[in-house]
Amino acid sequence: MKVPILKQGNILIATIQSALTDQDLNNLQNELSHQVSHYRSQGVVIDITELDVMDSFSTRTLRNIANILKLRGANTVIVGMQPDVAYAMVELGLTLPDIKTARDLEEGLILLQS
Amino acid sequence: MEENGKPTTTDPSLMNRMGLDQDEIARRKAWLEFTLEDETRLLSLNEMAQGYATEVIEALYDHFLAFDDTKKFFENASVLNRVKNLQKEYFLRLTKGNYDNKYVEERIKIGVVHASIGLDVKWYLGAYNFYLRAVGERIFKAFKNHPEQALEAYFSLTKLVYLDIGLAIDTYIFQREVTISKQQEAIRELSTPVLQLREELLILPIIGAIDSQRARQLTEQLLHAIRDKRAKVVVVDITGVPTVDSRVANHLVQTVDATRLMGAVLIITGLSAEVAQTLVTIGVDLSKIMTVGDLQGGIEAADKILGIHLEKNSDQATSSN
Repeated sequence: MKVPILKQGNILIATIQSALTDQDLNNLQNELSHQVSHYRSQGVVIDITELDVMDSFSTRTLRNIANILKLRGANTVIVGMQPDVAYAMVELGLTLPDIKTARDLEEGLILLQS
Repeated sequence: MEENGKPTTTDPSLMNRMGLDQDEIARRKAWLEFTLEDETRLLSLNEMAQGYATEVIEALYDHFLAFDDTKKFFENASVLNRVKNLQKEYFLRLTKGNYDNKYVEERIKIGVVHASIGLDVKWYLGAYNFYLRAVGERIFKAFKNHPEQALEAYFSLTKLVYLDIGLAIDTYIFQREVTISKQQEAIRELSTPVLQLREELLILPIIGAIDSQRARQLTEQLLHAIRDKRAKVVVVDITGVPTVDSRVANHLVQTVDATRLMGAVLIITGLSAEVAQTLVTIGVDLSKIMTVGDLQGGIEAADKILGIHLEKNSDQATSSN
């Protein structure tokens, strides 16, 4: 399933709405890498509220996306991670130490604009 | 035993919960080498048992009444008469055949009743021993000229009695286990309150030792509270935790990481001198954890993150003094 990417001022918002295949994740990475310079965005919010499972591949892709966007001049914030996902991830040692997180979209936007 | 004072004799699932299905009963019988032959032998004793039942039971209760510890269960005459009748029924049931599910259920009920009035296993076992001796004596007398038959009959009876004892003791143990697990549950729930101090600020005071299971439960509860209450900062106070080992410390680190992934901040307060020394000595990496000396300091730090500034109302302060 394709992830919609919305532009809100100088920020891009990608809302993941269901479980994603590896291909979907690769597409998301590709699209964001291109769009961020197309729109000259300063930041990207990835909303994962609807995700109830995160495996190592999706974790790695999210980290890659954040690092790629950094190189393209934008900050990434991941918002809305569910408690069970967060716990499962730290148990697997996937702690995303270099990525910013926020509770929800609203807070993610504030974080990027500050 | 139960809250309403009624024993759980009416609980049909007790047998299921104890895992006593047809297979299990068959296994128990096989283990005792209790066969159909034994059943027939016991059945053939029935007539004789009718003859000496009253006598044996009277003797048994005389025995019970001779000891202060067991006497207290039969303080009034009506109770004594009632239990004697029940005991007689039980006694005769031993030689009535059909040692099936229904039989096991009856036996378990007896175990439940005895456990619920607090009759200890030792008295219970003693009573069985008394039975075996009383009945054994009579069997050998009756088969005076056929000691082999007497021995066989006696062994059959022993097997059945041991089946009963096994069931009764398992019931005792099971009842205790139920109580223990209920209490554990209660302790767990009591000891992990996640409190909301103000908007976006939660407090989790941890009291008592933490093992892996509790640590896990604490973390899950905390993470869900963060979402449900939309918390931004959580202060975990571990003043009441006597010891922290590397596992617990590791768990704290995990909790901090998970909290951060959800977009909140976790502050740990109340690390005692001993705990701090242990952690440094065992080399746990706590660099990622935000720690503050005490709960008060933790809340102040949280307020700073939340941008809350508290001020004393000077008018009130002077008027109350």
